[in-house]
Amino acid sequence: MAGLWQNIDYAAFVVLFCIGLYIIIAKQNLIKKLLGLNIMETAVFAFIVTAGMVDDGTAPIVGPGATGPFASPLPHALILTGIVVAVSITALALSLIIEIYRQCGTLEADELKGAE
Amino acid sequence: MAHWLPLAPFVPLVAAALTPALARGRPGWARGWAVAMTAFCTLATALLTRRVIEEGPFSYVLGGWAAPWGIELRFDEFSTAALFISFIMLLVLVFSGPYVRRAVPGPRIVWYYTLLLINLGGMLGFVVTGDLFNLFVFMELVAVSSYALIAVGGGRTAALAAFKYLMAGAVSSALILFCIGVLYALTGSLNMGDVAQRLAVVESRAPMLLALAGMTAGFLVKAGLFPVHVWLPDAHAIAPSPINAVSSALVVKLGIIGLLRVLPLFDAADAVSLVPLYEVLAWLGGISIVAGAFFAIFQQDIKLMLAYSTISNIGYIVLGLGLAGQLAVTGAGIHVLNHALIKAALFLAAGAMIHRSGYRTLRDLRGIGRAMPWTTFALLIGVLAIIGLPPTAGFLGKWYIALGALEAGRPGFAVVVLAGALLVFIYFARMLNAFYFRTPTHEEMLAVREAPASMLGPVLVLAVLCVLGGLFGRWPVNLIAPAVGRLVGGG
Repeated sequence: MAGLWQNIDYAAFVVLFCIGLYIIIAKQNLIKKLLGLNIMETAVFAFIVTAGMVDDGTAPIVGPGATGPFASPLPHALILTGIVVAVSITALALSLIIEIYRQCGTLEADELKGAE
Repeated sequence: MAHWLPLAPFVPLVAAALTPALARGRPGWARGWAVAMTAFCTLATALLTRRVIEEGPFSYVLGGWAAPWGIELRFDEFSTAALFISFIMLLVLVFSGPYVRRAVPGPRIVWYYTLLLINLGGMLGFVVTGDLFNLFVFMELVAVSSYALIAVGGGRTAALAAFKYLMAGAVSSALILFCIGVLYALTGSLNMGDVAQRLAVVESRAPMLLALAGMTAGFLVKAGLFPVHVWLPDAHAIAPSPINAVSSALVVKLGIIGLLRVLPLFDAADAVSLVPLYEVLAWLGGISIVAGAFFAIFQQDIKLMLAYSTISNIGYIVLGLGLAGQLAVTGAGIHVLNHALIKAALFLAAGAMIHRSGYRTLRDLRGIGRAMPWTTFALLIGVLAIIGLPPTAGFLGKWYIALGALEAGRPGFAVVVLAGALLVFIYFARMLNAFYFRTPTHEEMLAVREAPASMLGPVLVLAVLCVLGGLFGRWPVNLIAPAVGRLVGGG
């Protein structure tokens, strides 16, 4: 169990991920589904960023007087890209939601099934 | 020239960014521009394919930063899918001209071509990258442009289908990214070859199992396998036909190619065994074959029929992977390529019929065999190929998968392969009957004219390839043999 306690942040992200997934599956409102997706993505991003942490690591800025250990900067760079992807997906989803509302007049998934 | 490899994925991406500016005030230029760029990609990937035949797999180091630190582009035998992707995209773009003018609202036509170029660049990047995070980025490029393309035609249900697709796609992408993060936390590397080596000595079993299961599940959702296929039929039937051809023939295959890239990472690892996973894949594949074919029989809408048949064929490929023998995996690899040709031919031929007649159900399309003889003929060749009758391209993959099932001592799965083909034969008979032998439901059907040359051309080229792909089947089999050997030999 010591391993789990040491990685308690990882467990938290898994829980957050599952909360997001639950919202996507259980909620009927399309906006809420999208919010669930964003929670899920945030969990993934936070997980990868923390994976770059090194014990007692400092910011990886090389200059006079800089001494290691440094935190790994790579996950931050990856997640910047990941955030851009997530933003574009959210924007596209919102525009689709607007289109759905214009066409069908509702955003509840169960009512939309009837409208199809 | 060494630089063809990076040029193949990046030229269409840059070209896509330039398209709206170039076509500003001259919307007619968008298609010509997209066709020219895709023709360039076809040339580039053809040269790359020739090189891989002569020399075997090769890498390109982006920006002079050596792998494992820099990003590596790697072209191996499976990457030859890039040639099929570019070529089918080229035919789809040629086909799109007259179809899109009617099916897509005017101001969106430029965006249509822009999105298709992004889609092409993403797919090419996906099959040639040797870096896990890069794989994710290219996958997202393909996914986001596909979501938008599903909705591009407008209409009452298009946005809803696109939203469903977006949700399924984004959840699976998040899952895959999460697993890439787990692998990075375990190994500290993102280069595929490097990760595979480092995983071999990793001892913590639970995170590895999580990563393996998550990635497999994520890629299977992308591939539209049976229990997680719910997004596929709507998305593939509602969009304009050329988009169906791209998404059904090419985009779902990325899920399979993703699996082919990810599974070898775990080959050398002692902590996890791939055998139980292969067993699950084989069963899921088998169920998917029968379920997809079964749903397809009961469809009236010709495009929905083809969409369900995609689920069935993805089942064949996953079954081949799951049997994990030399023959079965060869069959799966071949069927990835041949199904792309066949499904593109089918969707484009169906698109030509819908374009000319305005109808899309079997009942309404009765008698079209006399009005549009060439298109109907091409469609029927495509259907023969998808059943897998001997001289056609579809036969080869299914034959190898069935042999692989016997080789693995699992004759039950060989029966499933055969049963799938028999079920498909039923809807072939229904189509044949409706197109040639029934009296037309609509009087004006006999006045429908054959499709214009720019639509008929690509359809006939694909139909011919459906036959040639079977007659010259030895070439692709020999081509992917080394890659299959690495995949099977390692596990």
